[in-house]
Amino acid sequence: MTTVPDNHPSRTVVRLDDVRKEYGDATALDGVRLEIRAGEAVAVMGPSGCGKSTLLNMVAGLDRPTSGTVQVHGQDLGALNETGLALFRRRHIGMIFQFFNLIDDLPALDNVALAAQLIGTSARQARRRALELLDELGVADRKDTYPAALSGGERQRVAVARALMNRPALLLADEPTGALDSRSGEQVMDLLIDLNQIGQTLLIVTHDPHLATRCASRLIEVADGRVARESAVEAAV
Amino acid sequence: MSAVWRASRAAVKRRRLQTFVIGLVVLCSTTTILLGLGLLAAASAPFDNAFAQQRGAHTVATFDASKVSSARLAATARRPGVEAAAGPFGQAVLEMPEDWLWMPAGSLSVVGRAEPDGPVDRIHLLEGRWATAPGEIVINWPIAGTPGRDTLGTELRPRGGPALTVVGFATSMSKTAGGWVSPEQMERLRPATRQMLYRFSDAATERELRAGLSTATARLPADSLVTAQTYLALKRAFAAQADAYVPFMTLFGVLGLLISVLIVGNVVSGAVVSGHRHIGVLKALGFTPNQVMAVYLTMVSVPAVIGCVLGTLIGNAATGPILRVAFAGIDTGGAEIGTSWWPSVLSLAGMPALVVVTALIPSVRAHRLPAAQAITAGSSPRTGRGLRVQRRLGGTRLPRAVSLGLGRPFARPGRSLLTMAAIVLGVTTVTLTTGLTSTLLAFVDDDGATRVRVEAAGGSTVGGDTARRLSDRQTEQRLRSLPGADRVTVRGLTRVSLAGHTEPVYANFYRGDTRDLAPHVVDGHWPDRAGQAAAGPAFLDQHGLSVGDRITVLLNGRQTPVTIVGRLSDGNAKALDSNWQTLRRLDSSFQAAEYTVRLTQGADVRKYVDAVRAADPALRPSVLRPDNTVATTVVGFSSVFTVLLTVVASLGVFNTVLLDIRERRRDLGMLKSIGMTPRQVMTMTMSSVAALGVVGGLLGIPLGIVAHRLVVDHVGVIVFPEFTKQVWHLPQLAALMLAGVTIAALGALIPARSAARLTIAKVLHNE
Repeated sequence: MTTVPDNHPSRTVVRLDDVRKEYGDATALDGVRLEIRAGEAVAVMGPSGCGKSTLLNMVAGLDRPTSGTVQVHGQDLGALNETGLALFRRRHIGMIFQFFNLIDDLPALDNVALAAQLIGTSARQARRRALELLDELGVADRKDTYPAALSGGERQRVAVARALMNRPALLLADEPTGALDSRSGEQVMDLLIDLNQIGQTLLIVTHDPHLATRCASRLIEVADGRVARESAVEAAV
Repeated sequence: MSAVWRASRAAVKRRRLQTFVIGLVVLCSTTTILLGLGLLAAASAPFDNAFAQQRGAHTVATFDASKVSSARLAATARRPGVEAAAGPFGQAVLEMPEDWLWMPAGSLSVVGRAEPDGPVDRIHLLEGRWATAPGEIVINWPIAGTPGRDTLGTELRPRGGPALTVVGFATSMSKTAGGWVSPEQMERLRPATRQMLYRFSDAATERELRAGLSTATARLPADSLVTAQTYLALKRAFAAQADAYVPFMTLFGVLGLLISVLIVGNVVSGAVVSGHRHIGVLKALGFTPNQVMAVYLTMVSVPAVIGCVLGTLIGNAATGPILRVAFAGIDTGGAEIGTSWWPSVLSLAGMPALVVVTALIPSVRAHRLPAAQAITAGSSPRTGRGLRVQRRLGGTRLPRAVSLGLGRPFARPGRSLLTMAAIVLGVTTVTLTTGLTSTLLAFVDDDGATRVRVEAAGGSTVGGDTARRLSDRQTEQRLRSLPGADRVTVRGLTRVSLAGHTEPVYANFYRGDTRDLAPHVVDGHWPDRAGQAAAGPAFLDQHGLSVGDRITVLLNGRQTPVTIVGRLSDGNAKALDSNWQTLRRLDSSFQAAEYTVRLTQGADVRKYVDAVRAADPALRPSVLRPDNTVATTVVGFSSVFTVLLTVVASLGVFNTVLLDIRERRRDLGMLKSIGMTPRQVMTMTMSSVAALGVVGGLLGIPLGIVAHRLVVDHVGVIVFPEFTKQVWHLPQLAALMLAGVTIAALGALIPARSAARLTIAKVLHNE
């Protein structure tokens, strides 16, 4: 039997099947179907409140659908309990947030190393790998700096390094440039493009068309909790 | 409704949990403090009140009737410094040959008085009427209640004296006599002494009382004064039993107050610090700095006042039963033992004031904080707090969840110190209680052997319906010969007088196997020869005696010198112990009525008891249960205090963890988003207080050991033998180490679970 490698284009990394999410009377997602293959860079766009962040939360296993199934890396997330979801996330998913979400009490290096340490990697090994990543992302010289003393762009680079720490099958980015100035935003976009080019699967949630068109190969537009339009980036542009 | 009140009410509603914690901490603290203060107040106030009500005698002086006339004694009432005086009253000692009205045979001091009232010592008639004619007597009933109306009319037949009918029961806080007869009856008894009762203008100290008496009796013959008893000695005797509880009650009260201050300070300052953003919003809306401060003070005052009122109600409800136990069997006389008003007033005014003062400091910070800074304070990143420690912990081999948790206390060192201090005091309390319990258990431990007490008809509690078939000696012999008997101790209980003291005392004269009694001697030795005696600390202190002193014991008109050769670990404040040889010098025909039989290991108790009954129907055997009242009471009180203070300390931890989690919701969400499992979140949260618990244990245990030593060394009515104080062993100390961690874990458990269940999407979405 042939094993399909994690980043082989034929492999489906994300599959959402008729996913519905309700918060009380409000419907955030309404029968969403979506498939993302390995190595793809997909951008989800839409106005505020359309359900794009909910969609990202479903894929990340941060929230559960009211109905339908979410499969990531071949695993049905609905079959996992909270601990199982956490274990799954730490192995297969990396996340980047708009507001970085770095721990203020830890320097950049330890913020990055943290993700590896949670899966039992020794402090020394985790720091070595973290330093490599910071070096690749161009912020190795800021390894001992605390988040409060980093610029926005530097913070997001550190956050990206942390997300990549456990070599995730899927990198999720929620408005990754939303809190950055244009120069820093461009740098982060370049970084995401570079990652995708070396085979990293990306799912980006944004309302910034520039980010979507620069980084993604496929664009999904969400409106009122439904996938309103799905297109290749060239077509969207 | 004012804007301040509206904003305060909204703040209270929004922070329900924090409001509840403040209320609960204040409630528990108020209850604890009130219990301590209640006992402190009861130890002196009831005596003072009843003494003042009866215009008690500051000094009861007894004079030799043959050396000074009544007229000269009466003239002493007009001497300088004498505020009021009563007397002279004739005084005689009756010898009661057998038990009467639950009193053992022995001396009964009686005074001749025409009426119970007067300028000094207004005797309170409890039942019946005053003795107005010869042949009548009113008995002093020193403990609460009366023997009942049906006992009026009982005829007393003192040896060599007239028959006297009991016509009343009365009580005197000054304890001027065991009974009162009419002056005519007294003259017929040919009194050898006369009693004068004095109230002095300066009577606060023993020295002033001695000086007052000296001035009053300056013109009397030097050797006419036989004895003088001051009210201060009576007051000490009154508080003696309660004094047994006062040291640890006081200590628990102080511990409770300290923990309350710490926790309330922590909770309140936490509420203000975590409300910075709220403060900014209020200021942005146009609230003046004073209004903002008022909002915060009102916010914490509401639960504090509610907690204090409820705590006062619960504390007062609990104090009543505790006082009843503390004063059970004490000569309270006319004093009404109950809760005083001032501890409640102090609590009701003090606790909310304490909370407000504690809240004032952080509220002043809220007052000064610029609106813009306040709004950003809640979300701005923190820097420079314990970062080095956290960095080092991150490099250790510890699981990352544990090292992250251990680093948390360094992020907010002030809050952590306050929390740790509360844990330290909690552990101190647990250690103190453990030590007290061990000491008391060691103290009451009586080798585990079964003992049977046998009382003969005519004994202090057994009626005389059935005549004894066996004499005293025959009874002892028979009890020894019955199968199962190991040792037999015989006790002769009687009332004797001590030369120089107006009030008779009880004397226990032992014979037989007295070796079981010897271990109770903590200083000197057991009185094993004629002319020797031993007594407990309360008796010695109240009679101004110590080991080596000589006293003269009087019984049936005979007297014998006795040397105090031993100080017992405890004992009745009115009783001394001696031996049968000493008793024979006073009364050679005395028949013992109480026998204690120690049975051999494995003996059949029921068979032995049946055999005793068969031997002589006048014998009443009963299996002896050790009297553990003090031990049970102290252990019971300690346990209640420990539970209360542990709850308060745990609430402190609870609040700290809760605040920490609220402040770090974003961090927790992020950690969970990168794969921290709920169990790891729990571990991290619990680790953050476990370290405080361990340090709290390390500091609290030595403090508890010191507190234990302080308490056991200052229980006035018991001298604990050294072996009962050596209660600390390694396994016990190791177990106590867990106390700090347990308090921390108890407090952190609920917030830790809530942290583990945080919904990541919601937390991160809120950003």
